[in-house]
Amino acid sequence: MSSFRLSKGGRLDRTKPLDFTFDGKPMQGLAGDTLASALLANGRQLVGRSFKYHRPRGILTAGAAEPNALVTIGEGGRTEANTRATLVELYSGLTARSQNRWPSVDFDLGAVNSLLSPFLGAGFYYKTFMWPAAFWEKVYEPIIRKAAGLGRATYEPDPDSYEKCWAHCDLLVIGAGPAGLAAALTAGRAGARVILADEGFEPGGSLLSETAVVGDKSAGDLLAQTLAELTSLPNVRIFSRTTVFGWYDGNVFGAVESVQKNTATVDPNRPVERIWRIAAKHAILASGAEERPLVFGGNDIPGVMMAGAMRSYLNRQAIAPGKETVIFTNDESGYRTAADLEAAGLEVAAIVDARASGASSWSGRAPVFPGAMVQDAKGGKALTSVTILKGGAPVTINADALAMSGGWSPIIHLACHRGARPVWSDAKAAFLAPETLDGLTIAGSAAGVGSLEACLADGAGKATSALQALGLSNTSAAFAPATDTTIVSKPLWYVRGAKGKAFVDYQNDVHLKDLGLAVSEGYGHVELAKRYTTNGMATDQGKLSNINAIGILAEARKVSPADVGTTTFRPFYTPLSFGALTGASKGKHFQPVRKSPLHDWAKKNGAVFVETGLWYRSSWFPKAGETTWRESVDREVLNVRKNAGICDVSTLGKIEIFGKDAAEFLNRIYCNAFLKLPVGKARYGLMLREDGMIYDDGTTSRLDESHFFMTTTTAYAAGVMNHLEFCAQALWPDLDVQFASSTDQWAQIAVAGPKSRMILQTLVDEDISDAAFPFLGAKEVSLCGGTLTGRLFRISFSGELAYELAVPAGYGEAIADAIMEAGKPHGICPYGVEALGVMRIEKGHVTHSEINGTVIPSDLGFAKMVSATKPDFIGKAMLAREGMVADDRLSLVGVKPLDPATTFKTGSHILSDGATPSLENDQGYVSSSCYSPNLGSTIGLALVKHGPKRHGEHVTVWNDLKNEYTKAVLCSPVFFDPENGKLHG
Amino acid sequence: MASLIACPHCGPRPKEEFTVRGDAGITRPAPDAREDAWYAYVYLRDNPRGRHKEHWHHTSGCRRWLIVERDTVTHAVYAVTDAAAQGETA
Amino acid sequence: MVDFALVHRPALAGAKSGSFGAPATGNRITLAALPEGHVLQVLGSKGSAGLEDLIRQIADGNQTAARAYGPGQWFVVGDATLSPTEIAGKAALLSGKASIAEQSHGRIRIGMSGGSVEAVLAKGTAVDLDRAKFPVGRSAMTLIGHISALITRTGDESFEVMVLRGFAESLWDELIQMSLEFGVDARATV
Repeated sequence: MSSFRLSKGGRLDRTKPLDFTFDGKPMQGLAGDTLASALLANGRQLVGRSFKYHRPRGILTAGAAEPNALVTIGEGGRTEANTRATLVELYSGLTARSQNRWPSVDFDLGAVNSLLSPFLGAGFYYKTFMWPAAFWEKVYEPIIRKAAGLGRATYEPDPDSYEKCWAHCDLLVIGAGPAGLAAALTAGRAGARVILADEGFEPGGSLLSETAVVGDKSAGDLLAQTLAELTSLPNVRIFSRTTVFGWYDGNVFGAVESVQKNTATVDPNRPVERIWRIAAKHAILASGAEERPLVFGGNDIPGVMMAGAMRSYLNRQAIAPGKETVIFTNDESGYRTAADLEAAGLEVAAIVDARASGASSWSGRAPVFPGAMVQDAKGGKALTSVTILKGGAPVTINADALAMSGGWSPIIHLACHRGARPVWSDAKAAFLAPETLDGLTIAGSAAGVGSLEACLADGAGKATSALQALGLSNTSAAFAPATDTTIVSKPLWYVRGAKGKAFVDYQNDVHLKDLGLAVSEGYGHVELAKRYTTNGMATDQGKLSNINAIGILAEARKVSPADVGTTTFRPFYTPLSFGALTGASKGKHFQPVRKSPLHDWAKKNGAVFVETGLWYRSSWFPKAGETTWRESVDREVLNVRKNAGICDVSTLGKIEIFGKDAAEFLNRIYCNAFLKLPVGKARYGLMLREDGMIYDDGTTSRLDESHFFMTTTTAYAAGVMNHLEFCAQALWPDLDVQFASSTDQWAQIAVAGPKSRMILQTLVDEDISDAAFPFLGAKEVSLCGGTLTGRLFRISFSGELAYELAVPAGYGEAIADAIMEAGKPHGICPYGVEALGVMRIEKGHVTHSEINGTVIPSDLGFAKMVSATKPDFIGKAMLAREGMVADDRLSLVGVKPLDPATTFKTGSHILSDGATPSLENDQGYVSSSCYSPNLGSTIGLALVKHGPKRHGEHVTVWNDLKNEYTKAVLCSPVFFDPENGKLHG
Repeated sequence: MASLIACPHCGPRPKEEFTVRGDAGITRPAPDAREDAWYAYVYLRDNPRGRHKEHWHHTSGCRRWLIVERDTVTHAVYAVTDAAAQGETA
Repeated sequence: MVDFALVHRPALAGAKSGSFGAPATGNRITLAALPEGHVLQVLGSKGSAGLEDLIRQIADGNQTAARAYGPGQWFVVGDATLSPTEIAGKAALLSGKASIAEQSHGRIRIGMSGGSVEAVLAKGTAVDLDRAKFPVGRSAMTLIGHISALITRTGDESFEVMVLRGFAESLWDELIQMSLEFGVDARATV
């Protein structure tokens, strides 16, 4: 093991070495390491190159705010870019690569950008690459994109699975540091349902690296005992490796759990990440505080580190930061790092305390420089010395590590996700969350509390209050009240007179002068400064940098940080993978499949399926030797018209309507009359929207005085049901009417063609002759000698003598087989929705191609269906508008080519014969078209101005996409059997 | 990511179970009302900042139409009632 | 009249059966297609109240047979198939107070059990299925992932999920997927 790993100490399992690689180089760490600590243990301080200037960068923090140590983890489809090495739990077989460097992180050609830095200041995008404009996309952007940036995403599919999950609790505690543990313990003992979530792989937060003693216990013992008790409570769930990333409406919190991101051998039965949606009655945010960097020259040289992070690596992973460490602090906490370093036998070269008074109680060996500043740090790829300014001439001392502490900022992002704004506190010299949040309390250092005892007390006390508000009064705080003795220092936003670049935002290479430039050029508003300088952008969203940037802007503008304010905090707190957001909804789980009860019947008859919403419908049934779909469809159409065919229409929406006011209700829903529909009869109905346009059509049958059966189109089944319920519940709650969707209860089979009656009569026990069961008959029938009861409707979409037979879904396949068997001598064939479409166009029957939201009943020749006598129905009032009665409305007409050898497509526009295409000359458009094997020609339905008056007129059908002009003639939309002789056959 | 609507019949449910229709503050005019009343009912909608009543359908639950009164700025939900009971509770 | 056997095809006839997922955990899930017996959707007429007793009368006596899922709306389910005459008899009992929509073929029941059954369902529904809040006999119509279903607690570690027939196979596949981490034994045939 290297000299950077101390021979003892830390929360490590020294019997479990873990092999990993960094930039291809084999390295070894220990169980208990993060990738960052393992790299440090291997003497690897330089881990990346900066965004813009390609400056060498090292590990700065030990947590989620890390701006520098972004690495690419994994290989192939498991490649994950921009991963914070500080949060990666080390595992055997981990492969990590540095980013934004070429050819290597140690020798990076992009570092030449540093020499160009006078041209790369804030706003350089807007100034430098202005012209020529033609260069912007082709030259500038590709160069900038290549030179600047983070890791690269993989193009390979992710082999792993993800999922989403709900959880419910009385109290969600976010963060398992001192305050969070105290809150969870208090609530757990009170019997509340508690979820304690923490982003680390080991709960404990700052206790994991704390050397202080609480009462008579070491921090480590306190942690172990608290966790043991929490684990023993059945009402407490501890979610480790779980980052709560957002606070949402209804007090739902989003969290992401890393289930298997800590292994090279993924178990396919488990997800690698899981999104939790946690519905909490109340939550306590105990997310801790972020230490502030100090802004001085060269504060980004590898070896410079946050003081708390250095202490954490030392105490938790036994990492020696260097041989000679300088502490630069504006806060008490720098001394704690110094003390622990000395306790570990390491040398602290100096404590540079920006405060004039310095620390009162330092008893260590290191010399203290009160009222001094580190003005510049020196070194290339590693720190070599620092220049200290104390009154007179600068002093340079050698140092290979520098710990900095500028004070602490409470981590309050989550508290501000629902619109609340942070509030500046002069007393705490920090932005705090507002105190009056519904459903969320802030505790511990996230609330600006300083000392360990005070954090424990705060967490316990706030849990007690929250539980009492929830009615759990039998609660007592797990820790006694304590006074916070922490002294808050005056902030030090930056060190004056630095020679080198003093970085404010490490990740985006924003330095002190950039912010000054933003103010002097008029972009001093915090939101403008962010966009102008890029401070606070990208993956860390300014977790470290924003506070100093705000302080610097405030000084430059000569106002208080309260007047500058913060940028807006939005979810997610930390970046989230697309895989986690997608969850299980990919591949075959992307959306459900809805199968007709006749799906397998169709499949065994050779159907080709088409997706219709979530349904799979039979398109056509190819026979041996047929090479094109048209061949199959033409055969099916001709056979139905000559013999008979059978088609699955189970996907049509079916709604049972009950109640003594059902007839009255339908009368108000449809534009045509339904009040007096006799029992045993079906009627075609047109349903309008309130604006008068047709909404949907279908047949509705009266099975009983107060029981109707409605069919809707497949596409509008769900919408119609919602519409009926709206009308019944919100518009006319006085009516007695109820609905049940029975779409899935029935297998519905259309049997069409001149021989359909003959075939069906072999199954139906009752007489279905024309006299006994005429057109639009609807009744319950006994089938197969009384073995089954079904519903029979004499309705026709094809224009043939036709029936629809509904049987309980589980018997659909048996009945369809029986019909096929009975029809065999009569030449029956199965047909799909394509043949159905051809036959309905031949008959001029409309579908949603025509009912497209712009047509009213009279446009389709249904003027007579609109009741003039009903006092009210949906859409009645608006039908009277001027535009609805204008005579040049686009109206339904047939269209066919003059030369049957020519054709046209749906969507083509109709022009008067010889007219040039223009908006003025547009006469309408083709809404449906097909090849009619009965007419031997393309035919179409069209919506055309004055359509019904123009039968026989020659027109041009124009398709601009194909530059196609087809000479055609307008005609009746009923191309086939206009007398309906076959229908009534 | 998430939000919960407290259905008066089913309890708190995620928004995915609902279908939003829009303003519940409008009343369907009488059949013989003037054209401008109908025009307003069909086409004109306020877009208020703050409290707003909307029709929500608990499509994947009890299938009742509800009136959700919520704040369009904060998304705070003040009340959820059954649309059919509107007259009774008002 | 044609001569043929009236074969009933179960909705999950084509669904996969077998053991999937983690090889051995103490919390294995069992998924089972339940008999396609009877499912009656009962809709109360406007103004009817206190229908619970009547609904119990048309149910088969099983503790979880009658399931309320909204105001004036119930499902009455059981393993026995009912003839149209039997259903008509029940409808007569409710006459004027409620109507019956026959859904015996339209809704499919899937039984789910095992120590981790709540954890599996939490991957699909936002309903809090904690035993104290969702006791045996409680039902909830909700979304499981993208599919609407009626969840009923039938025991300490068992639930029934009822779904539209057309979505049954999709939901079956989803439930298997959701159970993989615990291991699942799926039996699609009754």
